[in-house]
Amino acid sequence: MPNMELQLGLALPTPNMIKGFDLNNHRLDHLKQRGCFSNKSKRSFEQAFGNFKQDGKTKTLLLWSGQPNEEEDHKDQKKTTFSTIDDSNDDEEVEQVVGWPPIKTWRKKIFNQPNGVGGIENNRVADKENGRSIYVKVKMEGVAITRKVDIRLYLSYQTLSNSLITMFSKDKKCGDDDSTRYILTYQDKEGDWLIAGDIPWQSFMRCVQRLKIIRNRD
Amino acid sequence: MRKKIMYSFPDEVLEHVFSFIQSDKDRNAVSVVCKSWCEIERWCRRKVFIGNCYAVSPRMVIKRFPEVRSIELKGKPHFADFNLVPDGWGGYVLPWIVEMAGAYPWLEEIRLKRMVVTDESLELIAKSFKNFKVLVLFSCEGFSTDGLAAIAAGCKNLRELDLRESEVDDLSGHWLRHFPETCTSLLSLNISCLGSDEVSVSALERLVGRCPNLKSLRLNRGVTVDKIANILHRAPQLVDFGTGSYSAELRPDVLLNLAGAFSCCKELKSLSGFWDVVPAYLPALYSVCSRLTSLNLSYATIQNPEIIKLVSNCPNLQRLLVLDYIEDSGLEALASSCKDLQELRVFPSDPFGAEPHVSLTEQGLVAVSLGCPKLQSVLYFCRRMTNAALVTIAQNSPNFTRFRLCIIEPKTADYLTLEPLDVGFGAIVEHCKDLRRLSLSGLLTDRVFEYIGTYAKKLEMLSVAFAGDSDLGLHHVLSGCESLRKLEIRDCPFGDKALLANAAKLETMRSLWMSSCTVSFGACKLIGLKMPRLNVEVIDETEPPDSRPESCPVEKLYIYRSVSGPRFDMPPFVWTMDEERKVMH
Repeated sequence: MPNMELQLGLALPTPNMIKGFDLNNHRLDHLKQRGCFSNKSKRSFEQAFGNFKQDGKTKTLLLWSGQPNEEEDHKDQKKTTFSTIDDSNDDEEVEQVVGWPPIKTWRKKIFNQPNGVGGIENNRVADKENGRSIYVKVKMEGVAITRKVDIRLYLSYQTLSNSLITMFSKDKKCGDDDSTRYILTYQDKEGDWLIAGDIPWQSFMRCVQRLKIIRNRD
Repeated sequence: MRKKIMYSFPDEVLEHVFSFIQSDKDRNAVSVVCKSWCEIERWCRRKVFIGNCYAVSPRMVIKRFPEVRSIELKGKPHFADFNLVPDGWGGYVLPWIVEMAGAYPWLEEIRLKRMVVTDESLELIAKSFKNFKVLVLFSCEGFSTDGLAAIAAGCKNLRELDLRESEVDDLSGHWLRHFPETCTSLLSLNISCLGSDEVSVSALERLVGRCPNLKSLRLNRGVTVDKIANILHRAPQLVDFGTGSYSAELRPDVLLNLAGAFSCCKELKSLSGFWDVVPAYLPALYSVCSRLTSLNLSYATIQNPEIIKLVSNCPNLQRLLVLDYIEDSGLEALASSCKDLQELRVFPSDPFGAEPHVSLTEQGLVAVSLGCPKLQSVLYFCRRMTNAALVTIAQNSPNFTRFRLCIIEPKTADYLTLEPLDVGFGAIVEHCKDLRRLSLSGLLTDRVFEYIGTYAKKLEMLSVAFAGDSDLGLHHVLSGCESLRKLEIRDCPFGDKALLANAAKLETMRSLWMSSCTVSFGACKLIGLKMPRLNVEVIDETEPPDSRPESCPVEKLYIYRSVSGPRFDMPPFVWTMDEERKVMH
């Protein structure tokens, strides 16, 4: 472990302004790919914090930054989104940076669903109800966690059941033995709970609102 | 002789005196006077507030305060609200409920914020606390309406059930039926976060009808405007009401009924809800407007002139939450009508659009600061700002306690001078001597942090994004802000130097969050090593931080003080830099 000294209570020197040290998310994605800082910014980093003692290993930053096109990549990725001049952004969409602007998730939903669908549902799991996926909640009796499945991924009741078995097999309580049988039920648009399998798969896909796996007590 | 007199008070007398001391701070002060006071105080403390559920273990709390009746816990860091904290991070309440079920059979109140609550936890609450009265779940998640049914059925003396802003798995609207017919004790019911699935309105009406002390009722989006009149007629004593969806085909009879119902509510002071609002139904509110002190229109997509008309009719308004459809003109009307205004929050209607489509600028906020001398708390989303406006606002409103400005585009400069907004925010901290909470935005250099460190002596919470040039900025804040408790930073060029130089400061704070900054893994390890009373947690969803060189920056770090050591419920993407346990999770 490097022996960096804690400099308690000492005033920091006036730093050299690190010009162009722009930490937008593009940059960090870039860093993740390569693993670390670029050569150029390493120099400015050390310039500013020259008396920041590091023992032994002068890193390794160099190892990660041998790419010739790096600077150009920088420029490309340094889109004008975060430029200092306001009107340069007029022609572009605002970059959707994670968590910015700082608005709670459920507030964003107000505008997407004018007819009151969904309210404040869990959209941390990507809730793509835009015609391409149909996410349906699945609860299994005796299991605390509710899961979600995209009904459109399945072709039949069989494939759906298989997938659910796999999904919930980790959750099964120890008390249940293998002979416990389960029934798959679903709630339709009228709010009624029915046993899955009665209607053709296509019809089922259109009307299923949620699923519940219950123990067969017969 | 003096000593004798001190100790000659019987414990019961001291206890009686202490019972008048309610605030946590004062209680804490009492408990450090001497050993006997500490001992007496801890037995009669009834209310505990734990700002970070990982700062202390349930057992430690129970051991110190054996007779608690009311507990408040907070879990995830604030930035979890904006999806910066990955799912599964933590904040589970179940271990607390399990311990308290045994130790506090007479527990009456549980208030949670940003915690993961399961149906199992709710069932345990319903089963374990015979005199349970108050459940507030603020921005919580992990539970369903099944858990709520258990609470409704099991808590015979329930007074308050408040689910504000929580994520609830809405399995069935019928959970309301689980309130027994004998339940008449409700004072407050907030189900506004529930989905649009039909809540059993008939069960709701019956429940409301048999609770004569119900003061606060907030409905969810699934309750339509035509149902409101019946509910209000059953509860004319309401002080705080949240409508559901304020939308239906316009029918004169519905409108009349609604107006009539509202006019019966003579105590009504606070309104919210208004999803999907149809402007034609707004006149039903006019009879209530003159008494309103709090109005939340932040889900209502109405525009001017309806907003202006509504707001101009509320001369006693103290608190307004609204969308930016109010525009500068509406804020000017607000400024001239509502002289008692204390809190204003303006939310963006189109946060991701590149172009503004409403005329809401810095002028609106200037107008309100000029016209409303009691203004204390502001949350304002806008797209442009100037130093001059901020200086004017600061001079007009020296009483600010909370000031949060969000200029939607990061690093936006003063649009007139193209300079950073350092001077403007500097004026805010200089003039507003009681400022406790500040959120920054726009183009900012290290200079703004110098101002903050110099002037913001009462600042307790600071939120920073896309700001600063160097570690000097962070250093100014950590070394200057004496009252700082919570610091959250994202996307700033702050690294090891300031953090290491001010490591001791972190023990005087509740927590520090830094994401997308340049703090190295090595520095995190060092702090973890040197400061055993701090939990240093590194969040990295891509790979273990020690698979890279130590000088590489960490993705996210969360440092908080704790007397119970590193936690044991960390998910795979959270690593603790603990001295004994090394780097592990």
